[in-house]
Amino acid sequence: MRSPRVVIGGAIVVAMVICAVFAPQIAPNDPANQDLLNMLLPPMWEEGGSADYPFGTDSLGRCILSQMIYGARVALFVGFVAAIGATLLGTTLALLAGYFGGWIDRAISHLVDLWMSLPPVVLSVTLMVGFGTGVGNVILSIVLVDWTRFCRVVRSEVMVVARKDFVAAAKLLGFGNIRIILREILPSVTPLIITLFTLQVGIGIIVEAILSFVGLSVPADVPAWGQMIAQARNYMYQAPWGIILPIIAMFVTVLGFNLLGEGLRVALDPRLRKRNI
Amino acid sequence: MFNSLINVAARRLAGAVPTVLLLSMVVFFVLRALPADPLALLLPPNATQADAEVVRKALGLDRSIIVQYLIWLRDALSGNLGNSIAFREPVMRLLANSLPATLELSFVGLAFALIISIPGGLLLYGTRGTFIESVLDVIVVCMLSIPSFLWAIFLLLGFGVMLGWLPFSGRVDPGIVIPDGTGFLLIDYIVAVQWGYWQNAFSHLILPAMALALGFSPLVIRVLRSSLLEASEDHYVTVARQRGLNERQIILKHMLRNSALPTITLIGAQFGFLFGGTLLVETIFSYPGIGNLMVQAVRNHDLPLIQGIALVFCITTLAINTVVDILYVVLNPKLRRA
Amino acid sequence: MAPVLTFNDVTVTARIERRNIDVLREISFTLAPGGIVGLVGESGAGKSMIGRVISGLLPENFSVSAGKVEFEGADLTALSKRERRALLGRRIAFIPQEPLSALNPVRTIGSQFSEHLRHIGIEKNRHRALMIERLQQVQLRNAEEALLRYPHELSGGQCQRMLIAMAFAGEPSLVVADEPTTALDVMTQAHIVRLIAEQQKLHHTALLFITHDLRLAGHVCRDIGVMYAGDMVEFGPAPAVLKAPSHPYTKSLLAAIPELTGPRRVLPALSDHMPGLASFAGLAGCRFSPRCAVKDSQCMATRLPARAVGEGHWVRCAERCQAAGDAPVGDLIKLPDAASTIPAVSFDRVRLSYHASRGFLGLRRSRFDAVKQATFTVAQGEILGIVGESGSGKTSVGRLIVGLERPSEGTIRINGEERMTGAVHLTGRDTQLIFQDPQSALNPRRSVLRLLTQALETGENYVPEAQRRTAAEALLRDTGLPPDCLERFPSQLSGGQRQRVNIGRALGAQPRLIVADEIVSGLDVSVQAHILNCLLDLNRRHGLTIVFISHDLAVVRYLCSRILMMHAGEIVEQGRTEAVFANPQHPYTKALLDAVPPDNADQPWPPVPAAERASMPR
Repeated sequence: MRSPRVVIGGAIVVAMVICAVFAPQIAPNDPANQDLLNMLLPPMWEEGGSADYPFGTDSLGRCILSQMIYGARVALFVGFVAAIGATLLGTTLALLAGYFGGWIDRAISHLVDLWMSLPPVVLSVTLMVGFGTGVGNVILSIVLVDWTRFCRVVRSEVMVVARKDFVAAAKLLGFGNIRIILREILPSVTPLIITLFTLQVGIGIIVEAILSFVGLSVPADVPAWGQMIAQARNYMYQAPWGIILPIIAMFVTVLGFNLLGEGLRVALDPRLRKRNI
Repeated sequence: MFNSLINVAARRLAGAVPTVLLLSMVVFFVLRALPADPLALLLPPNATQADAEVVRKALGLDRSIIVQYLIWLRDALSGNLGNSIAFREPVMRLLANSLPATLELSFVGLAFALIISIPGGLLLYGTRGTFIESVLDVIVVCMLSIPSFLWAIFLLLGFGVMLGWLPFSGRVDPGIVIPDGTGFLLIDYIVAVQWGYWQNAFSHLILPAMALALGFSPLVIRVLRSSLLEASEDHYVTVARQRGLNERQIILKHMLRNSALPTITLIGAQFGFLFGGTLLVETIFSYPGIGNLMVQAVRNHDLPLIQGIALVFCITTLAINTVVDILYVVLNPKLRRA
Repeated sequence: MAPVLTFNDVTVTARIERRNIDVLREISFTLAPGGIVGLVGESGAGKSMIGRVISGLLPENFSVSAGKVEFEGADLTALSKRERRALLGRRIAFIPQEPLSALNPVRTIGSQFSEHLRHIGIEKNRHRALMIERLQQVQLRNAEEALLRYPHELSGGQCQRMLIAMAFAGEPSLVVADEPTTALDVMTQAHIVRLIAEQQKLHHTALLFITHDLRLAGHVCRDIGVMYAGDMVEFGPAPAVLKAPSHPYTKSLLAAIPELTGPRRVLPALSDHMPGLASFAGLAGCRFSPRCAVKDSQCMATRLPARAVGEGHWVRCAERCQAAGDAPVGDLIKLPDAASTIPAVSFDRVRLSYHASRGFLGLRRSRFDAVKQATFTVAQGEILGIVGESGSGKTSVGRLIVGLERPSEGTIRINGEERMTGAVHLTGRDTQLIFQDPQSALNPRRSVLRLLTQALETGENYVPEAQRRTAAEALLRDTGLPPDCLERFPSQLSGGQRQRVNIGRALGAQPRLIVADEIVSGLDVSVQAHILNCLLDLNRRHGLTIVFISHDLAVVRYLCSRILMMHAGEIVEQGRTEAVFANPQHPYTKALLDAVPPDNADQPWPPVPAAERASMPR
């Protein structure tokens, strides 16, 4: 079970979580502090840089490193909470649809198909226009868009399990439906759910970045990676580090979750293990 | 076979109509019925009560939501999607001008994605069990972690700005005439036999289409590879080996056709993902498509335009899904019976 | 004449987890031109591995470490991959198992056959005529039309005919048939075996026939090699091996196969099961010795050489064990009579139908009757057999009995009480079903303890968790499972053990009636004998009523006092087993009985249809 993916991915995730939780202790400066004397400073390893601002400053003199560290807070918070919401909503409906079949399945499947007729980005942007900005609304719109993917994937798996004879055997023993769903079916799809959850956190981080790029996410004074990227775009040519560094932060974090999710998928599914993927 | 194709198409169309209706309702209500007061979004901060009343009446916001929706629907069915608040033009005209650009970009992006992913998937499968596979695998996971808008920024900075190899703004160089026609420049310039302009248009498409393609390819590579892996353990493949066929023949003539099925399913299911990526990619490359238009509309709180664009995205995605379904039936003989 | 195929002390070694394991040990036999050799063994014995040695398609980490394989004088193991590939399909052909999945589902039969013909060097313009001729030879009706079909549009038998035509198309010197009829119905099996024999004679091809069915091999093959755990333990002419077996394993194998005729005796069942690859390393000598009744210390320690016991007949067993090695004769079985109390199950004109949507936009509905007009009773304490091929409706009847399906029409009574047709009514625990596939029937996340005591978790049999262990142990004893497997999970058990846990799970609810749906098909003969004896025991000790569903006539005859014959949803015949077998009334029953390979290898089989028989020259 010592899969390199799980280890590396897990390490990255843990590192990011520490960054987020201990941001005040780790960050060298206050990310909101505008030092107008030191705008667009390059990172300290470049000429003109300063150890006070290890990664330099942005167009308003704010420390880039500190913004990156605090940005992890928004990213991870949004990612995790949205993933939990999407998981709960998607899984519950998937269990109902896959187990009961019939009109329940048709209704839920139609709902999912309907929902998926709009490209996810378009839908989340539309929702945010309607909801208004703010972290809570971002989380809500991610949940409302991504639950469909959960539902579809988990539903197929639930249907496979529900057709197995041991479910019929449980019915023959007089077990009630709820009992069967929770005791017989849910444990079988849990590995899949864990994997999807982990991958969903990465997706949530990306969606948040997209939304803040368009200006629809958190208020302008809250540090968020997407916003950093959007703002730094204006100064891309003079100060490329301003855009490269938050991109790297985002990439590494999402990569960590993807590695972890992939590694878990292989580790938890014995069928895939023999293929050394 | 044609029976089942018509069957599929008919079923899809029958299902599409209520879907479009329902989605238009959702979009409408989301934009108007939610806590954010639509009026507050549309007025400058120093508007007076009287100003507000005028705008309210003009936009029909004094009627109930349901009535507003029905009015909008009636107008939409006759081709009138309202007027854009920011651009002061009919939404329909704005859409007609920008939709072909986005479709062209998406199709070229899809083509690039296939060019990358099919050999990529085959390569990943062909090197299975070797060290190269692990390296390629890591590359694919890294690619998966980079959304298309980041690719867009990299490509723009790298090939556009630093290396200067390719243009990174607009559909053609400024000053080049855009012909009347389908709106698809790659087609129009061929029809008009203007080879130089065609090359120009194509070169403008390369970077944004690559951004879309790079964001989409890892998904396709993954699916292709895993379905090839599954197919290689299928009974008929073992039997084919027993008949003396070599690996290359088996992959090309047997496995690929079977593996195409789940791959096409994925492309259909995730096309929305590719399509939605145009929002940011077009913005970054200043490419005049509906994605770019959407972002501007959002920034301007231009509700009629947002609604119109959302509707167009929806209809396009449904159309693509129908085509994919039909393609699936063509390729999978098990579905051919009506 | 020089033999077509020679295996000379061939040993195949596998490198698994850094150990070298001899998967096949010193396999030796010869196959003459036009001859037929059968390789018989239970699953895991290594018979298919021999086929893979011939084709050169060994799994990774497996290699031929000793010995020589000669084909038409050439050393197969010394050939390069390309040279070997050149032989496959042309000089050496294979007939695979599971014909329906042996062809590419997205290409037509014709295109795949044509590809094969191109591979063996026949020019394109001759393909069509040749394909039609060959398909007609294998009696595939409407050959021209069949070429345009896809595999899923044909039946298993038709696909297999196609594959046989393809195999013989290149006029090969050797055909390897790997369990060609295992996945087919009994009647189709008879046709296919006859077809293979005809083709073999016609093209004068040497045939290597791999099967787990010793009786079938006796009817088809000239020589038989018996495989056990990678060893060939006996080899000789078929009549000799079947009538005068020398190896204790062959003897017990023969004794454990239930017979269609003769007195019913308890099948002697060997303990334990054939060792898997992992245990090979610890068995230096005879791998059968742990289960052998007459072993001694020498057998366990050293490899036994092949010893001649007759003309062309040798065995790997010591002479000293010979005399004492006969399997004990079992007691006569007395099957229970139908008691005159309320029947356990009573069906009165029961119909079960399914509706499917077809046609444009799914508007047309068609009805499919899985069970038509079923009327029968099952007495208390009786063992009733339901026999039929796949699609006959026997599984549906089983599901109707336990309540997993509701009848569309008619009445079902369990112990006199009518089962409601309205509500979804599962009569609690009185009737239980043992499912066919233990992989699907046992929740892989439950330990054996939790599986056996599943019935005790709620309801009328509720037992608090602390006391469930005792109940589990009782069930272990009832089903003959070893006491140490309570903590194990299904993936860690063998096929036979899983099936026993399956039975134990059903017994946990203390039902009065059990429906066993094809629970022994796919199990090895020795394990099958165990399970059947287990059922007999339960019936005798607890008075358990059993409805036994199967397609295997011999097994049904062993176990059941009365049988129902089902075909296409209808009960075509019912009555006491002996009466039905001795004097079948319905043409389907007659055809089915004819299609089963008889006990005695001397009796002619496969059957020749009456029309052909009439046209044969006197």
